[in-house]
Amino acid sequence: MAKPPFTNDIRTLRFMAGEMTQGDLGDRVGVTRQTIAAIEQGKYSPSLEVAFRIARIFDKPLEAVFQWNDASD
Amino acid sequence: MTYTEKKSWLMLVAMLLAYGLYFGLILAGHPAGYDKFAMLWLFGTIAATQAVVVIAGHVWLAIGARKLPPSRVDERDRAIAARGAKISYYILLTGTILVGVVMPFTEPPMKIVNTALFAIVIAELIGLLVIVTSYRRGWHG
Repeated sequence: MAKPPFTNDIRTLRFMAGEMTQGDLGDRVGVTRQTIAAIEQGKYSPSLEVAFRIARIFDKPLEAVFQWNDASD
Repeated sequence: MTYTEKKSWLMLVAMLLAYGLYFGLILAGHPAGYDKFAMLWLFGTIAATQAVVVIAGHVWLAIGARKLPPSRVDERDRAIAARGAKISYYILLTGTILVGVVMPFTEPPMKIVNTALFAIVIAELIGLLVIVTSYRRGWHG
Protein backbone atom coordinates (compact mmCIF):
# COMPACT_ATOMS: atom_id res chain seq x y z
CA MET A 1 0.00 0.00 0.00
CA ALA A 2 1.44 3.39 -1.05
CA LYS A 3 2.13 5.97 1.63
CA PRO A 4 -0.21 8.99 1.73
CA PRO A 5 1.12 12.21 0.15
CA PHE A 6 1.61 13.81 3.55
CA THR A 7 3.46 13.16 6.77
CA ASN A 8 2.56 14.02 10.34
CA ASP A 9 4.21 15.01 13.61
CA ILE A 10 1.75 13.35 15.95
CA ARG A 11 4.43 11.28 17.67
CA THR A 12 6.48 14.40 18.46
CA LEU A 13 3.42 16.35 19.56
CA ARG A 14 2.39 13.54 21.89
CA PHE A 15 5.88 13.54 23.38
CA MET A 16 5.75 17.30 23.92
CA ALA A 17 2.31 16.95 25.50
CA GLY A 18 3.74 15.05 28.46
CA GLU A 19 4.21 11.67 26.75
CA MET A 20 0.52 11.42 25.94
CA THR A 21 -0.23 7.82 24.96
CA GLN A 22 -1.84 6.77 21.70
CA GLY A 23 -4.74 5.46 23.75
CA ASP A 24 -5.24 8.79 25.53
CA LEU A 25 -5.17 10.67 22.23
CA GLY A 26 -7.55 8.14 20.67
CA ASP A 27 -9.99 8.52 23.56
CA ARG A 28 -9.97 12.29 23.22
CA VAL A 29 -10.38 12.20 19.44
CA GLY A 30 -12.98 9.42 19.49
CA VAL A 31 -11.02 6.73 17.65
CA THR A 32 -9.19 3.60 18.76
CA ARG A 33 -5.55 3.45 19.84
CA GLN A 34 -4.86 1.34 16.75
CA THR A 35 -6.21 4.06 14.46
CA ILE A 36 -3.87 6.64 16.02
CA ALA A 37 -0.99 4.18 15.53
CA ALA A 38 -2.00 3.65 11.90
CA ILE A 39 -2.16 7.43 11.27
CA GLU A 40 1.28 7.92 12.86
CA GLN A 41 2.77 5.17 10.69
CA GLY A 42 1.20 6.56 7.50
CA LYS A 43 -1.03 3.50 7.15
CA TYR A 44 -4.31 5.41 7.34
CA SER A 45 -5.39 8.83 6.10
CA PRO A 46 -7.80 10.27 8.67
CA SER A 47 -10.94 12.18 7.78
CA LEU A 48 -10.77 15.97 7.87
CA GLU A 49 -12.80 15.91 11.09
CA VAL A 50 -10.38 13.59 12.88
CA ALA A 51 -7.40 15.58 11.54
CA PHE A 52 -8.90 18.80 12.95
CA ARG A 53 -9.72 17.11 16.26
CA ILE A 54 -6.11 15.94 16.63
CA ALA A 55 -4.79 19.45 15.84
CA ARG A 56 -7.19 21.04 18.34
CA ILE A 57 -6.08 18.69 21.12
CA PHE A 58 -2.49 19.86 20.64
CA ASP A 59 -3.70 23.45 20.20
CA LYS A 60 -1.92 23.66 16.85
CA PRO A 61 -3.04 24.60 13.33
CA LEU A 62 -3.65 21.68 10.99
CA GLU A 63 -0.44 22.42 9.04
CA ALA A 64 1.63 22.00 12.20
CA VAL A 65 0.36 18.44 12.57
CA PHE A 66 0.08 17.30 8.94
CA GLN A 67 2.54 18.40 6.26
CA TRP A 68 1.98 17.93 2.54
CA ASN A 69 4.89 16.14 0.87
CA ASP A 70 5.89 18.36 -2.09
CA ALA A 71 7.52 15.40 -3.84
CA SER A 72 4.03 13.92 -4.26
CA ASP A 73 2.75 16.80 -6.47
CA MET B 1 -5.49 -5.51 16.95
CA THR B 2 -8.87 -3.77 17.17
CA TYR B 3 -12.09 -5.44 18.27
CA THR B 4 -13.41 -5.29 14.69
CA GLU B 5 -10.22 -6.76 13.26
CA LYS B 6 -10.40 -9.67 15.70
CA LYS B 7 -14.01 -10.29 14.65
CA SER B 8 -12.97 -10.30 10.99
CA TRP B 9 -10.20 -12.85 11.65
CA LEU B 10 -12.66 -15.04 13.57
CA MET B 11 -15.15 -14.99 10.68
CA LEU B 12 -12.40 -15.63 8.11
CA VAL B 13 -10.89 -18.63 9.91
CA ALA B 14 -14.32 -20.13 10.71
CA MET B 15 -15.45 -19.79 7.09
CA LEU B 16 -12.22 -21.21 5.70
CA LEU B 17 -12.43 -24.27 7.94
CA ALA B 18 -16.17 -24.89 7.55
CA TYR B 19 -16.51 -24.39 3.82
CA GLY B 20 -13.08 -25.77 3.03
CA LEU B 21 -14.40 -28.99 4.57
CA TYR B 22 -17.77 -28.75 2.76
CA PHE B 23 -16.39 -28.14 -0.72
CA GLY B 24 -13.48 -30.49 -0.10
CA LEU B 25 -15.95 -33.30 0.61
CA ILE B 26 -17.96 -32.45 -2.50
CA LEU B 27 -14.86 -32.50 -4.68
CA ALA B 28 -13.95 -35.86 -3.13
CA GLY B 29 -17.27 -37.30 -4.36
CA HIS B 30 -19.59 -36.88 -1.34
CA PRO B 31 -23.30 -37.44 -2.27
CA ALA B 32 -23.98 -33.79 -1.35
CA GLY B 33 -22.66 -32.99 -4.81
CA TYR B 34 -25.66 -34.63 -6.52
CA ASP B 35 -28.30 -35.57 -3.91
CA LYS B 36 -30.40 -32.81 -2.37
CA PHE B 37 -31.05 -34.51 1.00
CA ALA B 38 -27.37 -35.37 1.44
CA MET B 39 -26.52 -31.80 0.49
CA LEU B 40 -29.03 -30.32 2.94
CA TRP B 41 -27.78 -32.58 5.72
CA LEU B 42 -24.08 -31.86 5.14
CA PHE B 43 -24.53 -28.14 4.55
CA GLY B 44 -26.91 -27.79 7.49
CA THR B 45 -24.53 -29.58 9.86
CA ILE B 46 -21.49 -27.57 8.78
CA ALA B 47 -23.32 -24.22 8.68
CA ALA B 48 -24.85 -24.80 12.13
CA THR B 49 -21.47 -25.80 13.61
CA GLN B 50 -19.84 -22.76 12.06
CA ALA B 51 -22.59 -20.50 13.43
CA VAL B 52 -22.14 -21.90 16.96
CA VAL B 53 -18.35 -21.40 16.78
CA VAL B 54 -18.72 -17.83 15.46
CA ILE B 55 -21.33 -16.91 18.10
CA ALA B 56 -19.16 -18.36 20.88
CA GLY B 57 -16.16 -16.45 19.47
CA HIS B 58 -18.13 -13.20 19.35
CA VAL B 59 -19.23 -13.64 22.96
CA TRP B 60 -15.63 -14.33 24.00
CA LEU B 61 -14.38 -11.24 22.11
CA ALA B 62 -17.17 -9.06 23.53
CA ILE B 63 -16.29 -10.15 27.09
CA GLY B 64 -12.65 -9.28 26.41
CA ALA B 65 -13.67 -5.89 24.99
CA ARG B 66 -15.62 -4.79 28.08
CA LYS B 67 -12.54 -3.01 29.42
CA LEU B 68 -12.15 -1.04 26.19
CA PRO B 69 -13.49 2.53 25.77
CA PRO B 70 -16.88 2.98 24.04
CA SER B 71 -15.29 3.94 20.69
CA ARG B 72 -14.64 0.32 19.75
CA VAL B 73 -15.61 0.95 16.12
CA ASP B 74 -14.32 4.11 14.50
CA GLU B 75 -14.07 5.68 11.03
CA ARG B 76 -11.13 3.49 10.03
CA ASP B 77 -13.08 0.32 10.86
CA ARG B 78 -16.07 1.59 8.88
CA ALA B 79 -13.90 2.59 5.87
CA ILE B 80 -12.20 -0.80 5.78
CA ALA B 81 -15.49 -2.68 6.18
CA ALA B 82 -17.00 -0.66 3.30
CA ARG B 83 -14.04 -1.55 1.09
CA GLY B 84 -14.46 -5.25 1.86
CA ALA B 85 -18.21 -5.11 1.20
CA LYS B 86 -17.70 -3.32 -2.13
CA ILE B 87 -15.26 -5.92 -3.48
CA SER B 88 -17.39 -8.75 -2.09
CA TYR B 89 -20.44 -7.34 -3.90
CA TYR B 90 -18.82 -7.54 -7.35
CA ILE B 91 -17.73 -11.14 -6.78
CA LEU B 92 -21.21 -12.09 -5.61
CA LEU B 93 -22.75 -10.32 -8.61
CA THR B 94 -20.54 -12.30 -11.00
CA GLY B 95 -21.46 -15.54 -9.22
CA THR B 96 -25.15 -14.67 -9.34
CA ILE B 97 -25.04 -14.07 -13.10
CA LEU B 98 -23.22 -17.38 -13.55
CA VAL B 99 -25.64 -19.51 -11.52
CA GLY B 100 -28.82 -17.60 -12.38
CA VAL B 101 -28.36 -16.85 -16.05
CA VAL B 102 -25.74 -19.19 -17.53
CA MET B 103 -25.79 -22.48 -15.59
CA PRO B 104 -29.57 -23.23 -15.80
CA PHE B 105 -29.11 -23.94 -19.53
CA THR B 106 -26.36 -26.50 -19.09
CA GLU B 107 -25.99 -27.85 -15.55
CA PRO B 108 -28.01 -30.12 -13.19
CA PRO B 109 -29.83 -28.51 -10.24
CA MET B 110 -27.49 -29.64 -7.44
CA LYS B 111 -24.45 -28.33 -9.27
CA ILE B 112 -26.19 -24.96 -9.60
CA VAL B 113 -27.06 -24.97 -5.88
CA ASN B 114 -23.50 -25.80 -4.84
CA THR B 115 -22.03 -23.26 -7.25
CA ALA B 116 -24.34 -20.62 -5.79
CA LEU B 117 -23.12 -21.54 -2.29
CA PHE B 118 -19.55 -21.41 -3.55
CA ALA B 119 -20.09 -17.91 -4.98
CA ILE B 120 -21.50 -16.70 -1.65
CA VAL B 121 -18.62 -18.25 0.31
CA ILE B 122 -15.93 -16.93 -2.06
CA ALA B 123 -17.46 -13.43 -2.05
CA GLU B 124 -17.54 -13.39 1.75
CA LEU B 125 -14.04 -14.86 2.09
CA ILE B 126 -12.49 -12.34 -0.30
CA GLY B 127 -14.35 -9.50 1.44
CA LEU B 128 -12.91 -10.66 4.78
CA LEU B 129 -9.43 -11.09 3.25
CA VAL B 130 -9.58 -7.51 1.95
CA ILE B 131 -10.56 -6.35 5.44
CA VAL B 132 -7.78 -8.14 7.35
CA THR B 133 -5.21 -7.16 4.68
CA SER B 134 -6.31 -3.53 4.87
CA TYR B 135 -5.79 -3.57 8.64
CA ARG B 136 -2.31 -5.07 8.29
CA ARG B 137 -0.99 -3.16 5.25
CA GLY B 138 -2.90 0.11 5.64
CA TRP B 139 -5.79 1.80 3.94
CA HIS B 140 -6.09 5.33 2.60
CA GLY B 141 -9.79 5.43 1.72
